[in-house]
Amino acid sequence: MTTVVKPMPVPRRRSAFAYRARLLAILYLLCVPTMVGVLLFTYYPNIEVVKYAFYRWDGSNIVEYRGLENFRQAFGADPLFWGSFELVGILLIANLVKMWPSILVAIALHRLNSQRWQYLYRVLFVLPMVIPGLVWLLIWKTFFTSGMFNDVLHASGAMWVFRHLDAGLPALATTFATSAYQYDGSLLSAALQVFRAIPFLFASSWGLALFGIACLVAGPGIASIRGRWLPWLMVLIAGAMIWEPTTWQAWNAADGVAVAWHQYIPWRLLLLPILAAAIPEWLRRRDRIEATTRVRWIAWGCVALASLLILLTETWVEPTGQFSPLLDGRPANPAWLGHSKLVIPALMLWGFPWVGTIGVLIYLAGLQNISTEVYEAAELDGVGPIGKIFRIELPLILTQVRINLIFMTIGTLTDYAFYLLLLGPDGGSDNKGMVPGLYMYNKAFIQNEFGYACTLGMCMFVIVLALTVFYQKYVKVEK
Amino acid sequence: MSVRVSFRSEFAKHAIVCFVLGFAFLPLYLMLVISLKSNEQFANNQWFFDAPKDWQWHNWVVGWQSVRDHIANSMVVSVGSVLLCLSIAVPTAYVIARYRFPGRELVYYGLMITMFLPGGAAALVTTFTLISKLGLLNNLGALILLGGVGGQVTCVFILRQFIEDIPKELFESAQIDGAGHLRQMTAIVLPLSGPILGTLAIMQFIGAWNDIMLPLILLRDKELLTVPVGLLRLDGEYVKQYGQLMAGYAISSVPLILLFLFTMRMFVKGLTAGAVKG
Repeated sequence: MTTVVKPMPVPRRRSAFAYRARLLAILYLLCVPTMVGVLLFTYYPNIEVVKYAFYRWDGSNIVEYRGLENFRQAFGADPLFWGSFELVGILLIANLVKMWPSILVAIALHRLNSQRWQYLYRVLFVLPMVIPGLVWLLIWKTFFTSGMFNDVLHASGAMWVFRHLDAGLPALATTFATSAYQYDGSLLSAALQVFRAIPFLFASSWGLALFGIACLVAGPGIASIRGRWLPWLMVLIAGAMIWEPTTWQAWNAADGVAVAWHQYIPWRLLLLPILAAAIPEWLRRRDRIEATTRVRWIAWGCVALASLLILLTETWVEPTGQFSPLLDGRPANPAWLGHSKLVIPALMLWGFPWVGTIGVLIYLAGLQNISTEVYEAAELDGVGPIGKIFRIELPLILTQVRINLIFMTIGTLTDYAFYLLLLGPDGGSDNKGMVPGLYMYNKAFIQNEFGYACTLGMCMFVIVLALTVFYQKYVKVEK
Repeated sequence: MSVRVSFRSEFAKHAIVCFVLGFAFLPLYLMLVISLKSNEQFANNQWFFDAPKDWQWHNWVVGWQSVRDHIANSMVVSVGSVLLCLSIAVPTAYVIARYRFPGRELVYYGLMITMFLPGGAAALVTTFTLISKLGLLNNLGALILLGGVGGQVTCVFILRQFIEDIPKELFESAQIDGAGHLRQMTAIVLPLSGPILGTLAIMQFIGAWNDIMLPLILLRDKELLTVPVGLLRLDGEYVKQYGQLMAGYAISSVPLILLFLFTMRMFVKGLTAGAVKG
């Protein structure tokens, strides 16, 4: 309980004012170490970041005011920076998929009949967490680099699967990478024409995903969203980020490249939110009650389709040729972390079977709050074991899922230590594994462009701040 | 759960869990296997133990020699930052929980906002220059300071709620008996919040032990490296003796395993709290 500061009965008579002043002084004194520490080691560096974002600075001597020049460079003429966000997008989608095994394992563990086994398994799940993360990383890295991983692939027949994926996925990618696709009159080809509409309407699969998210935000209807300027701003910022630097070049018109009107992206940027708001409204007019559900279906459908397309067309687009036997007859020995075309697939496979032991324990804690009556009721209604996942377990641990989702997105956006340790400061060969944080690190500590690194840091900060505000406002997490 | 026990469904659940656990423990098993092999033995037989007479115990000796200094450094840094963190977080949490005074909100929210700063990545550069301005580059003290200050936010947040739940009559009667603030903290807050302090301490300890970016950029001398950076150096520097590397990894995991064995319950709580904190 907090108590209001008031004069306490003290043996020696003193004026209330003196007593209060003395108490306040002591209170402030007790807070001083914390405040000094936080101001010096947390606030000061972050404020410096904002300041040096406008300077050219090599870390020691040369400090030169550049105004907005750094930002112009970051937005306009730094494909690596924007490429890193594309990688983050791909990783986000991959991580979204990788969230599921943990949930399923937690459910399997929770449903075990024998309490004794359940306890034993829980203890076993705790044990690997005790080993430091870096040790895991280094051991796995050893597997990848020493060829042990490839031996497993050979022994389990997975190499054969990968050899066929190596031929199949790039072929699929070229089919769906709609710019390369031509209509040849067949029925399949006609069906695939649908995918031509995606880049035309949404600029890319990223745009489709964005449209889905906008639909989700606009789902409750215009009336409830009026005055909420934030979602629209978010959509615009996200759109501006996703569409390549060409957007900015078109606006700057600095290099004088003529852009056809339908390739000129900003109009689609404006169209998206309007479309995302109009469709729910139109549906609502026809059927008020069904509308919200339908909008949600449309939105999730768009996000899922776009995610699939992005994964298909961005991750494994060229045959790597690493999986077929070598010329001298030795078995294939793909260099997972070394070959530039394999870096992103390797990052996606990393950590198979994608079960984070901490995640399992958190989900399990949530599952254990579900009362047995719910299960019994479901049993009476004839809900099968799979049905229970969707009707009981998932809805009831949604809080935990949301929390994990939030930390996962922000973690994916800001994490870079993993990539630094695994792939080195250049993000592997061809900078394929360059995430924004790593790029910042690279600029600062490898290329000594500290000022520019601060600019990139500020961009990241704004994005993460916007995400945090968005989550705080629109993704409700009940405590 | 369900009343009927269907063998098939039970088997499926066990199979799923065991499959995942197998993948989780495989690296540990292989770490032990490889740590007892020379490089030739490793090339010939990667997956199983050799005959016991061929075990290379020498690897463990070399491994111990290469990581013991790092372990000592990590100990200093982790214990130091835990002590610093708690010793500055407890008074602040006490003050914020017990009194309303002008500036209280400023202090509290000023602390809480730092949780939402993306911190590390963006401010790494300026933290580096700040530390070099303070002359603490290549000094374990810098890690203690940064670790303690960074970790205290969560501690204040959790401790404040805990201290608010302590009945205020306890504090008032102590005050009437003439106990000062310091005495109230040591005689009331510390004993009553023992378990939560233990959890926070372990959370902080694990965080400091596993931290890699700060030691990576702040430390230069080989003698000062903490465990993660030391392992990284070992991984990159030499012609790889896989056996010795693995032995080093295994030895450097021992302190946390010991800590875990003695404080199992609090350890798990600290880990999950740390994970949710992000």
